[in-house]
Amino acid sequence: MLTQRLIPGLLLRGGRLAKGERFASYQDAGLPHTTARAYIAQGADEILLLDVDASRVGRGPDLDAVRAVAAECQVPLTVGGGIRTVADGHACMAAGADKLCVTMTALDRSDLITELAEIFGSQAVVLGIDVLTDDGARRLYDHRNGDMVGRDPLAWARDGIARGAGEIRLMAVDREGTRRGMDLDLLEAVRHAVQVPIVLEGGAGTLEHLDAAFAAGADGVAVGTMLVFSDNNLVKIKRYLADRGRNVRA
Amino acid sequence: MRVIVVDYGAGNVESVRRAVWLAGFDPEISSAPEEVLAADRIILPGVGAAGRAVAALRARGLDEALDEAVCRRGRPMLGICLGMQLLAETLYEFGCHRGLGWIPGSVVPMRDVIGDGLRVPHMGWNSVTATDTGAMFFPGSREPGHFYFAHSYALDVRPEDPIAAATVIYGRTMVAAVRWNAVFATQFHPEKSQDSGERLLGAFFDWAP
Repeated sequence: MLTQRLIPGLLLRGGRLAKGERFASYQDAGLPHTTARAYIAQGADEILLLDVDASRVGRGPDLDAVRAVAAECQVPLTVGGGIRTVADGHACMAAGADKLCVTMTALDRSDLITELAEIFGSQAVVLGIDVLTDDGARRLYDHRNGDMVGRDPLAWARDGIARGAGEIRLMAVDREGTRRGMDLDLLEAVRHAVQVPIVLEGGAGTLEHLDAAFAAGADGVAVGTMLVFSDNNLVKIKRYLADRGRNVRA
Repeated sequence: MRVIVVDYGAGNVESVRRAVWLAGFDPEISSAPEEVLAADRIILPGVGAAGRAVAALRARGLDEALDEAVCRRGRPMLGICLGMQLLAETLYEFGCHRGLGWIPGSVVPMRDVIGDGLRVPHMGWNSVTATDTGAMFFPGSREPGHFYFAHSYALDVRPEDPIAAATVIYGRTMVAAVRWNAVFATQFHPEKSQDSGERLLGAFFDWAP
């Protein structure tokens, strides 16, 4: 039976890990490869490495960091941030990435999704969707400048999948780092819109939050804050989820 | 033992190289047909779109080298994911492509196989079951645990076919690995399957077909 994935999200800034709240007020959270090594030993099902500076300052992926993390990775590695071209994609894959996550760069130029899928296959192309929900209205969020993008998130999800993306990383921006629970309504809406796997991100603060996300059908949950600034670890989290009858990899 | 990881521009060769190294060997990464012919063990990885991959194999003369080394001389080969699918006769992915034709069968969209209701790609860790054919690759248990899958297309070999080495359930029971003569090939990624994958790679290197 296919298990639901627990995916530590590593945010990269200037070669080190950061943890932020709503893409701001970052705190230092260690070195990427030592952190990845620990997470993998504890049972991470996949590693998500996102370079949060790359798109903002207009540079490509941090390949040294990708290589360092990949060297520890006996589980799949998804790399995102600054992938603007097929050449960037090739460089990430050669550095050890298994999947490419495009978020802002796909919004800037949606043909990129198709170009990557035609070479690496849809299963290697993850569309990142950052959604800010304000007063019930869901809008795409551009973390580079804090602006809203004038496209409907659900329409963009459908469009991105039609263009060849094989998975969605769905971030509830207004929950990120807040530890007040995951946006299960958003998950349900996107699950209804597309038929690819969805990795939900943003807002997990307690074991119950993760259990609720899995119960709501998340194919994967990305966790960051909860692992960095609390006494939770993946072993404890997985044991809890297994005890609750969730289908996780032991 | 000379191990080669075949690099034809459509594989995650670095991940495979690392996994093989952890299994105790120092593989060469090469796209040269003569290196394929000189190897004791051949690994054909694969991540990417089918059409480009088969064209890349043929453009480098690797189709003929693999046929000579594996089919005629009996050098053991491990095919991984797309490296398994390429062995089929026909691949229906962004069009219709002729594979190496070692396996009688086609590679078809997962959606056609499993119907509606489940997510495609089949992505993540799924538990596999070894068959009699595949038992030697899963030492200790016919239920060897979870392996990592990431695919939108599936090989249409039936689970009860004698070449089926392992099966997996996703909507229905499907073939997760095949074995015949000197070929062992998996739909999942042993190089990304942590301890389970490491054991499987070890068993492949121990295998004497």
